[in-house]
Amino acid sequence: MKFREYEAKKIFRDAGIPVPNSELITRAGEAASAQARVADKVVLKAQVDVGGRGKAGGILPATEENISDVAKELFGKTIKGLPVELVLVEEALEIQHEYYLSITIDRSAKMPVILFSEEGGVEIETLAKENPGALHRAFIDPCFTDVPDFIMRNVLGSASKSIGPVINALYHVYCKTDAILAEINPLVMTPKGVIAADGKIVLDDNALVRQGISENRDLTPREAEAEKHGFSYVELGGNIGVIGNGAGLTMATLDIIAHYNGHAANFLDVGGGAGFERVARAVRLVASMPGVKVIVVNLLGGITRCDEVARGIIDAGVPQQVIVRLAGTNEAEGRRLLEEKGYLMLDTMDQAIRAAVEVANK
Amino acid sequence: MIYADKDTEILVQGATGSQGAFHINLMNQYAKEVGGRGVVAGMTPGKGGQQVHGVPVYNTVWDAMDHHDIGASVIFVPAGGCGDAIMEAADARIPTVVVITEHIPVHDVMRAISYARTCGTKVIGPNCPGFLIPGECKLGITPTNLCRKGDIGVVSRSGTLTYEVISELSLAGFGQSGIIGIGGDPIIGQTFSDVMDVFYADGKTRATVLIGEVGGNLEIRGAKRAESLGMPVVAYIAGISAPKEKRMGHAGAIVEGGESDAASKIERLKELGIPVATRPSEIPLLVKEVV
Repeated sequence: MKFREYEAKKIFRDAGIPVPNSELITRAGEAASAQARVADKVVLKAQVDVGGRGKAGGILPATEENISDVAKELFGKTIKGLPVELVLVEEALEIQHEYYLSITIDRSAKMPVILFSEEGGVEIETLAKENPGALHRAFIDPCFTDVPDFIMRNVLGSASKSIGPVINALYHVYCKTDAILAEINPLVMTPKGVIAADGKIVLDDNALVRQGISENRDLTPREAEAEKHGFSYVELGGNIGVIGNGAGLTMATLDIIAHYNGHAANFLDVGGGAGFERVARAVRLVASMPGVKVIVVNLLGGITRCDEVARGIIDAGVPQQVIVRLAGTNEAEGRRLLEEKGYLMLDTMDQAIRAAVEVANK
Repeated sequence: MIYADKDTEILVQGATGSQGAFHINLMNQYAKEVGGRGVVAGMTPGKGGQQVHGVPVYNTVWDAMDHHDIGASVIFVPAGGCGDAIMEAADARIPTVVVITEHIPVHDVMRAISYARTCGTKVIGPNCPGFLIPGECKLGITPTNLCRKGDIGVVSRSGTLTYEVISELSLAGFGQSGIIGIGGDPIIGQTFSDVMDVFYADGKTRATVLIGEVGGNLEIRGAKRAESLGMPVVAYIAGISAPKEKRMGHAGAIVEGGESDAASKIERLKELGIPVATRPSEIPLLVKEVV
C-alpha cells in the first residue's frame, strides 16, 4: 500500500529527516490561513496516488496575494482521473541542488539496496537508462541495523557528507515501516541544509497488520472484499470471469484466454483447500463485476477437493454460464455433481478456456 | 542427491498446526511407499511431548536435533512467526530448509535468508510447494499421484502450475528427476540457477523445465546457468497478460517496469536459443525436441 506524500513526510520528520514546513488542508477556504502559518512563499501540492503529479498540474506555486484562487483551481481538478481532495500547503524551498535517494529491495541480491544520485528530480528509470554511472547503488545486509560507514562512503561519492545521516534515517524508516520502497525525490540542498522535498513510502502488503493498518486503500471495493476473504483478486476489464487455484495456474489461464483472443474481466485465486462455501463466495464475487458474460473455473485439486468446488459452483447459482475444468482429488464426484446440473465440463484447461472465449465473443 | 533423498530424516516445524499435521501424514505415506525415512520429528514451541501421526514433537529445533539426525526441515509456521522459524532452523545448522508458508513480510524473509546464508543453510521458498524427488522423498505438499520417476528436472515459481506441468509430462511419458518449487515471493532462498547447479551435480537430469512468471530476472539467470552447464532447458513464463503494477496473486508476480514482464523475458529466453512454450500443454512437445 502506498503512503501519500504528507504521510511519508510525517514519518520522515519523526525519524529526524528534515522536511519543509507544511500544513494539510481539505478545502480551498483553509489555504490562506495555512499559508500564513507555513511561509510567505508556498507551493500547493495535490495529495493523489499517481506518479508524474507535477507535470499533470498537481503542484502549483502560490503567494499571499493569489493563494485562494490557486487553491480553488487545484481543488477543482482531477489528476489522472483522481479528484483532488487533500492539498499540502508547503513552504517553497530555495533549491541549490537536487539529489535522488531511495531504498528498495534487490531481488537478485536478496537485500535492501540504496540508490543515490547527484542528479535528482528525474524519473529514476530514465536516469538508470540514460546515465547508469550517475546512479550509485549499495546493498545492505538486512541483519545490519545501521548503514555502515564504508557503504555510506561508496554511496555518497563526492556528494555532501551531510546527506549521510539522512540515508541512515531513511534506512531506519524503511525497516521500521516494512517498506518495499522508501524514496526521497528530490532530496534538495538549500541554504538551510539538506531537505526532503518529496517523499514516497510503499508498504509490504503482507506486513500491513503489524503496521496497524486494517484496510489497504489501494484496492477497489471488490478487491477489498476479496482480500477480506483471503482471495487474491485482480480486475482487468474484459468479459470473462476467471477462477483458479494457485497464482501461476490462474495467470496461465489468463494467458491462454489472451491466446484465443478473449478478454479476462478479472481473476480470482481461491487458494488451497477451499470448501464449498468459499468457492460459492468466489463465484459470486467474480460474477458481480459488471460486464462478466461467462465464467471459467480452472481448478487442479490437491488439497482442494473437486467435489467441494462443484458444490460451491452449484450453490452460487450465478446467472452467467460457468464452464469448468476440474482435475485431481475427488474429480469423479465433482464431475458427477456438475454434469447432473448440466454444467459444461471439459477435460483440459485449453478446451475449457477456448469454450469460454467462444461464449464471450458471441 | 537433489537436496534430500530416501535416507534424509525430516523435521517439520509447525507440526501441530492443521497444515503441518496433515502434511506430516502425507509425507510419511510417500516415505512408506518408497521405503524412505520421512518425517521423524516435529517441532512446535510449547507442544513438546505430543505426537502427530506417531511423530514425536519437540519444543525447540535444538531438542529435535539432540534426538534425531535431521537433514532437512519443512516449515508450516504461520506468516508472522515464520522468519523466526527459518532462523531457528539455520541456527541449528540444518542443511536444507523448505518454507511452505505464504504471506511472510518480505523484511523477515530477507533477514532470515541472510542469516541462513551465514549458517550454511539452503532455504527453499518461502511461498512454495517444496520439492518431490520421485522414488526418493517428498518435502512439502506436491501431489505424488501426478509424478513419475525419470530424468526431467522441473523447477518452478508456481505451485499448481507445476502440478499441471508434471501431469502433462507424465502423460507424455516423461518422468521427473526432481520437482522443485522455489516459491512465488520477490525474495526466495534457492533460485533457478541454484537448482540448476543441484540438478547438474546430481547427474541424473537430462533436461530441465523452467516455469517462471512476471517479476524479477531470475528466469534469465537460471536459463543461462543451465546453458553453461550444458543442460537443455525448456521454459514457460506465466503472466504475459498481466497488467503493470498489479499484484497477480503471488507477492513476487508484479511487473515492475524494465525487463521483468513476461513478454520481455520470453524474448530474452528466445534470444538465448531456449524453446519457450506458449501454454503448459506444449511443454512435452518441446521437451521431446531437446532431449
